[in-house]
Amino acid sequence: MADRGRALVRLVALVAAVAVLPLFVRPVVAAEIWIFAIAAMALNLIFGYTGMLSFGQATFFGIGAYAGALMMIHWQAPLLLALAGGAVLGALTAAVLGYLCIQRLGIYFIMLTFGFNQMFFFIAYKWTDLTGGEDGLPGVPRPPLALGPLHLPLNTATRYYLFVAVVFLLLFYAMKRIVDSPLGLICRSIRENPNRAAAIGYDVKLYKWIAFTIAGAFTGLAGVLYAMMYGIVPLEAISWITSGDIVFMVLIGGLGNLYGPLLGAAGLKWLSEAVSVVWQRWPLILGVALVLVVLYLRGGLVEALARLREALARRRLRPRVREESA
Amino acid sequence: MARMSRRDFLKTGAAATIAGVSAGPAVVAGQSKEVVMLGIWPFTGPFADAGPLLDRGMKFAIEEWGTRVIGRPIKYITRDSETKAGPSTRRVEEAIESEGARFVIGPWSSGVALAVAEVAKRRKVLHYFSGGTEEISGKRCHRYSFQWAASPFTAMHIVMDSFMKRHPKAKRWYILVWDYAFGWSVEKYIKVAGQGHGVEFVGTDRVQLGTREWGGFVSKAAAANPDVLCMLTAAQDFIIAVREAHNFGLAPKVPIVQGWGLGSEELAQLDAKTRENLWTGTNGYYTANTAVARKYAESYEKKFGIPPGYPAIAAYSMTRLVLGGIERAKSAEPADVVKALEGWETDDWPGRVRIDPKTHQTVHDYFFLRCKRPNEMKHQHDYGEIVAFGSEPLMPEQYNECKDIGAL
Amino acid sequence: MSVSLLSWAVLNGLVTGVIYALTGVGLSIILGLLNIPNFAHGALYALGAYFLYAAAQAALGFWGGLIAAALGVALLGMAIEYLGLRRLYGVHPDYALLLTFGLSLILTEATIFVWGPTGFTFQPPLMLAGGVNLGVMVYPKYRLMIMLATGLLVLGCWLFVERTKYGAIIRAGIEDRDMASALGINIRRVFTLGFAAGAALAGIGGALMLPVRGIAPTMGVEIMPVAFVVVVLGGLGSLPGAIVAGLLVGVFQSLMTALWAPGADASVFALMTLGILLRPQGLLGQR
Repeated sequence: MADRGRALVRLVALVAAVAVLPLFVRPVVAAEIWIFAIAAMALNLIFGYTGMLSFGQATFFGIGAYAGALMMIHWQAPLLLALAGGAVLGALTAAVLGYLCIQRLGIYFIMLTFGFNQMFFFIAYKWTDLTGGEDGLPGVPRPPLALGPLHLPLNTATRYYLFVAVVFLLLFYAMKRIVDSPLGLICRSIRENPNRAAAIGYDVKLYKWIAFTIAGAFTGLAGVLYAMMYGIVPLEAISWITSGDIVFMVLIGGLGNLYGPLLGAAGLKWLSEAVSVVWQRWPLILGVALVLVVLYLRGGLVEALARLREALARRRLRPRVREESA
Repeated sequence: MARMSRRDFLKTGAAATIAGVSAGPAVVAGQSKEVVMLGIWPFTGPFADAGPLLDRGMKFAIEEWGTRVIGRPIKYITRDSETKAGPSTRRVEEAIESEGARFVIGPWSSGVALAVAEVAKRRKVLHYFSGGTEEISGKRCHRYSFQWAASPFTAMHIVMDSFMKRHPKAKRWYILVWDYAFGWSVEKYIKVAGQGHGVEFVGTDRVQLGTREWGGFVSKAAAANPDVLCMLTAAQDFIIAVREAHNFGLAPKVPIVQGWGLGSEELAQLDAKTRENLWTGTNGYYTANTAVARKYAESYEKKFGIPPGYPAIAAYSMTRLVLGGIERAKSAEPADVVKALEGWETDDWPGRVRIDPKTHQTVHDYFFLRCKRPNEMKHQHDYGEIVAFGSEPLMPEQYNECKDIGAL
Repeated sequence: MSVSLLSWAVLNGLVTGVIYALTGVGLSIILGLLNIPNFAHGALYALGAYFLYAAAQAALGFWGGLIAAALGVALLGMAIEYLGLRRLYGVHPDYALLLTFGLSLILTEATIFVWGPTGFTFQPPLMLAGGVNLGVMVYPKYRLMIMLATGLLVLGCWLFVERTKYGAIIRAGIEDRDMASALGINIRRVFTLGFAAGAALAGIGGALMLPVRGIAPTMGVEIMPVAFVVVVLGGLGSLPGAIVAGLLVGVFQSLMTALWAPGADASVFALMTLGILLRPQGLLGQR
């Protein structure tokens, strides 16, 4: 019962955070945080919960972004259709690539995801008629949100932030349901001990594939949101540097925890915005942070917060203990 | 802690959001006294060596102007474009929002410029750019963006015409060109210009910006037995490729024609032997014989030890034109300055300069140089002699895709 | 394709191939011995070039600079293994990978901090400048030197690993580290030296390529993907495999540039993907 209470408090804190974030950072930066939080959540599903380190999530992010952008530019697709298009294409690509990657384990899996990412990067680079190549794909519109009687234009930064925030919260809820569902439990068992999971009778490859595809859908949708933010799909959206960023966020935030990727995304984006204006070499801090996390704090920010809470709790307990023994 | 109902939380959340939304705009209103000018320059990435040069040029112009315009102080800020569309658009937006920047000069890369031009259009800030893409004054034209560099149509014709006049039999050209907006424009027009001389383009390789491995491309060029190796690249890529051309036995036997070069700072990186039989077209070479150019070359060389190249010249001239426009309009509102610039004819760095009101193309001279042999050089920086310059032929109507530059 | 173009393409491919092989061997040693995909390998490659550049400026000359670069990167490698990687041996290998990733950021940013963000070009030593006429075409002397010197180095590595006692220890460590340790081999020292050697090979590769490609902070990021392709294609932990794969990838990429340049980069990864799917243990791998 207390567990459910804590979970509700956390959810509520999240909604509050989403609401007040624009007070602390520009709406555009805040929107970017939630967009990448979606992508980080997706990676968390396959890495934190299922144990597969994908170093190529930008493949789906980029493909989703290009797909949604092209649909809006050439077919004047309405907003929700474009989002769906990005998600579907992300899922389809993940389904195909996932099927191939899952055939191998460990380093091979990582290299396959990385290799495919590189391949799609170079295709996007060279297919300039479709993607604009190095210059990126400009002219991405921001269609109004048209749902039944509701017609809401999203042309200001704040309105777009609200839209992104709502989409994020919905997707977060969906991810929570997935993780708490039997599928989520099976994924976790695969991460802990794939042989045992197989021995019990679960088709390990099938569940890995499902998780990978779901992650692709989430990431593709995030890509479309990104494209609409500045009205351009930059080539970096599909680059392995972005894949690395997403891995960072999950790792620094805390693996296998639903809120970890959000903290990681917020931390990384805030660093790159706030610190980069002051110090050009801010990725150095990022590298140091990663090294420290890997060596001393493998649970990430989530673990750091948990430890902090414990430390504070311990300090409160100590005086009472002394009194008793006196 | 009292348990709040879900409904209460939604209400609180909504209230907080509205509060946050209304707090935003108040911050920006503060900076109205200063005229804020943004230089979006590449300090990292493939054009990292141009960044500081562009910064120099813009700062030079502002200081020369007294760091004041229409009685108001000028605030000059810079942001790193990284030669990437994503970070550039982000930083330009941020500078507009938090610093109140209303005049954006840069970036250096044509590809990124297209992205920045979109921001300028959306946010209605004045944008001046110098680069080889025709689209800023062409397909993507709009009231707030201006193109300083000569039109690639004009530039490539000057290069081709002056070179062919001296080498009428050099009909086989091999092209190495950068594969993005810049390269696409200059490649298109060098080929158009070549048609007029019966030039056969025996091969074209479109290469990624920042390519360092030139062996393969130079080999291909050599194997095609060309009369001319035409490089539509610049900076490090160009320097490495020229050296490889020598290593692979192609140069200096076969002349190298650089269509759109960076002038003195670039040529300085090659030694005199490697510059043999090198021809380069550029928007800015320091020996241009105009009052503004002579004065700038002298002061710049005194301060930095080397005469200015195209980047420093372009930034200098663009800033002067913008400041001149502000003075003419007697206002620092981008829309007023736009109107003041349109159709303006004045004397600036390249000599006579005219801003076409229909396309926002700045019409001025483009220069073509022959690099000097070691025994011809009269001093350390005497890299080349200007063998041709001009602002014609102008791009004919049929090529110009700026059909309607739009409203303010 | 004319004879001269084909000869150029093949020679160019062998030059890049032999450097790929060198970098791949280094990466393969680290991967095979320590089971870590070294994401800092590219940064070490770049540092080799920077050390050579700095040493040459400090009047050590080209050859002195090469040695200095190799030693410098080797020492750095030892430090990385001893201070960082050693602590992660009991933990899931993903973390070691991420450590090297973090290190690559630190190293790259430090490079920019010390030498600035712009790239430099570098002239080869005078005796190796210019080209030599090979009859059917002219070929740069320096590139020939790379082929020769690196070829010998790579051959030397192979002989060392396959034919000497210390090489046998390394092979044992790769095949079964617990068993090797049980047999009395100081496996920790092997690891440190192994990582240092792998790093040094990367550094030498970068240094040698300096006069050909110039130097820029991003050059590490560029070599990384190819290095991994080479290792995976050759077979994890197989040094002869890395050599063969390196040459294969180099020549393949060069031929593609000559035949269909736009597809050259993407096709290298298509090759790797095909390799993993069809023959997962790599060309010469055993696992």
